[in-house]
Amino acid sequence: MAYKEVVVKKPLLLIILPYASLILFFGLWQAVVQFGIIPNTLLASPSQVLTTFIDKLTNANPDGATMGAHAWTSIQEAFLGYLLSLVIGIPLGLAMGWFNIAEGLFRPIFELIRPIPPIAWIPLTVFWFGIGLAGKVFIIWIAGIVPCVINSYVGVRMTSPVLIQMARTYGASSWQIFTQLCIPSALPMVFGALQLALAYCWTNLVAAELLAADSGLGFLITMGGRLGRPDIIVLGMICVGISGAIIGFVIDQVEKKLLAGIRR
Amino acid sequence: MAGNSIANETVNQSRNREPFSLRRFLTNKYFLYCVSICLFLSLWDYVAREKIFRDSLARPLEVWDQLVLLTQIKFAGTHLWGHIWASLQRVLIGFVLASIVAIPLGLFMALNRYVNAIVKPLFDLFKPMPPIAWVSIAILWFGIGETSKVFIIIIGTFVPCLLNAYNGVRLVDPDLYDVIRVLGGSRRDEIIHVCFPASFPAIFAGLQISLSSAWTCVLAAELMNSRDGMGFLIKRGMDTHQPTLVLGGMILIAAAAYGTSLIVSLAERRLCPWQRTIDNL
Amino acid sequence: MSDMKLKLRCENVSKTFIQKGNQEVPVIRDITLSVYENEFLVILGPGQSGKSTLLKIFAGLEQPDTGTITLDGKPVEGPGPDRGLVFQSYMLFAWKTVRDNVELGLKLRGVPAEERRKTAQHYIDLVGLTGFERHYPHQLSGGMKQRVGIARAYANTPSIMLLDEPFGQLDAQTRMFMQKETARIWEQERRTVIFVTNNIDEALFLGDRIVLMEGKLPGTIKTEYVLDLPRPREHTGMDFLRLRKEITDNTELVL
Repeated sequence: MAYKEVVVKKPLLLIILPYASLILFFGLWQAVVQFGIIPNTLLASPSQVLTTFIDKLTNANPDGATMGAHAWTSIQEAFLGYLLSLVIGIPLGLAMGWFNIAEGLFRPIFELIRPIPPIAWIPLTVFWFGIGLAGKVFIIWIAGIVPCVINSYVGVRMTSPVLIQMARTYGASSWQIFTQLCIPSALPMVFGALQLALAYCWTNLVAAELLAADSGLGFLITMGGRLGRPDIIVLGMICVGISGAIIGFVIDQVEKKLLAGIRR
Repeated sequence: MAGNSIANETVNQSRNREPFSLRRFLTNKYFLYCVSICLFLSLWDYVAREKIFRDSLARPLEVWDQLVLLTQIKFAGTHLWGHIWASLQRVLIGFVLASIVAIPLGLFMALNRYVNAIVKPLFDLFKPMPPIAWVSIAILWFGIGETSKVFIIIIGTFVPCLLNAYNGVRLVDPDLYDVIRVLGGSRRDEIIHVCFPASFPAIFAGLQISLSSAWTCVLAAELMNSRDGMGFLIKRGMDTHQPTLVLGGMILIAAAAYGTSLIVSLAERRLCPWQRTIDNL
Repeated sequence: MSDMKLKLRCENVSKTFIQKGNQEVPVIRDITLSVYENEFLVILGPGQSGKSTLLKIFAGLEQPDTGTITLDGKPVEGPGPDRGLVFQSYMLFAWKTVRDNVELGLKLRGVPAEERRKTAQHYIDLVGLTGFERHYPHQLSGGMKQRVGIARAYANTPSIMLLDEPFGQLDAQTRMFMQKETARIWEQERRTVIFVTNNIDEALFLGDRIVLMEGKLPGTIKTEYVLDLPRPREHTGMDFLRLRKEITDNTELVL
């Protein structure tokens, strides 16, 4: 049905306030550094950070790699660990949700390992794998696998029992119910895990790089700290934040595309 | 409940009883749990004994002995309990400070769209930044003492607390406000009788997330720089290559994280007795 | 009917909603309607006929675009405790016990605790929930939840009760039972009642008068029936069935 269209106006103040708040924030930040209210050794102004950023695009000093190289290291580690956690975590969670034996055997181990913060594994991974790629991938894997398993498990568990009974009356085998019914109905939860796992991976990547690394965005922050260069620290933080936001946005879009048919 | 219900409105609470058999016993959940734990421990023991990771993995019993030893001797100036308390104290201070500020701010943002318009953009700016990324700048600002550690924990716990309080209020069924209005209540009544209680479960969920984030943060801060705490034990184990100390520290911090989250769950059950418990999850 | 005292008057009321940000949807148009003291008025209409919106306007939760509502000669400008509303989806406070739910309206008006307790107990007993005072809503069945909803509205001693498809979510047996209960409660606690439903049997069983709405948007009044059937009514009485046929023939509503 075609209805008449009208224009709904938002109060002007509500449109302006968010921008005003951001401008004020950056303005204040610039001002406190510019006028020396906070000394330059403790905080870099936005303009300084920007200059450092442009410089770091081509200059490998003082921390040994350009911006691009740091970002590439981090992204590589994050994605490898992330993919591994999806590949192992989701099937494991799905199986735990449906098969009693899988649940009985894996759940206690999972519950034992779950409360350990992933970064607590850093010393062991350094012992086992050194400070290279493998160790960080392991930590990210540990971080990412928890939401994957939980969400897939809960997703299967939340399958409508009526639908399962319906499938049973039609003579479906346990395996058929699992693959044809439980997995599809768990999909929205599983996709929720994709976002969550990525956020976990990204946080723990930074931690892993802060403590044991020779390149990467987290390492950049550490180096900034060691060299007493607040501009490098802030630059590293901003890069980590922005890349995290971009990756989150991409996953969000992919999720929307894939789930278009399931969720209305 | 089902029995004395009125007007044929019954609630089905029956459950099938199946006869006992060996198969049933073998696939019993609790039996499998025991098998699982035993398998896990023996696999761990096997890997450690055969030195598959050379000398970088300790046997479970060695870890246990190490922990018992730590309760008896002073390590880096204090007993095991001192280290646990050092970390716990940091977590508690940061966690309490952050939730005292973040929860009211989140509620306020949800209730007033002008506050929301001012705070939300700033919040969105900081949200994607992992709290641990603040470690370096915290040390630069506050030195390596307690302040910088508490600061990191506040950063880490603030976001989930605020976000959940905010969403908790926004997801309240707006028709519930109508009930209050029809009964003759004011805007204040709507907030007291609907907003706050309805957002309680979400706030508690936020507290749980915050708590686990707080433990990660305190660990990161202690690994970077500290003289006591459970993260210090792990760090010392790393520097002196003592897997028993590292594993012992990991177990302690897991137990502490689990314990605190249990306390929050219990508090939630106390404060929200209306919450339905979801079985099988 | 003209000898009865006028309770609520609704004159030329129209309402348009704005959907999806910028589409105007006319929901009701030019409704004029009178409700008399102690009358049981049923507004009957299929889904999407604007009847719930009309009730919300009576309750003061929505403002009409044009037209006026007067209650006891005073214009209605917003929601107030003189009108008790029962919602289709119960709308109980999950965090309050049955008693606290029922007491809420009194509490909001600052009635002292003891009196509150007494009034609440009276209405809990009236709707047949004695013994369930300390239960939380999730421990109750659908029919019991709606009893709480009705008790909550009654306890606030409104001068007019507005019920918005209160039994829409109940199964057929419970629904019939609740209709009988509603008739019983109404006879014990005489109040003016406006009852919205999409169920012809329900309308015939309960109403003194039935206002039939057109089955499409914008909602308008199609016709009115005055029921002179004696109470308690039977779903199989001759007059009942005759009227049922008449109304059925006059609607697009399929049962």
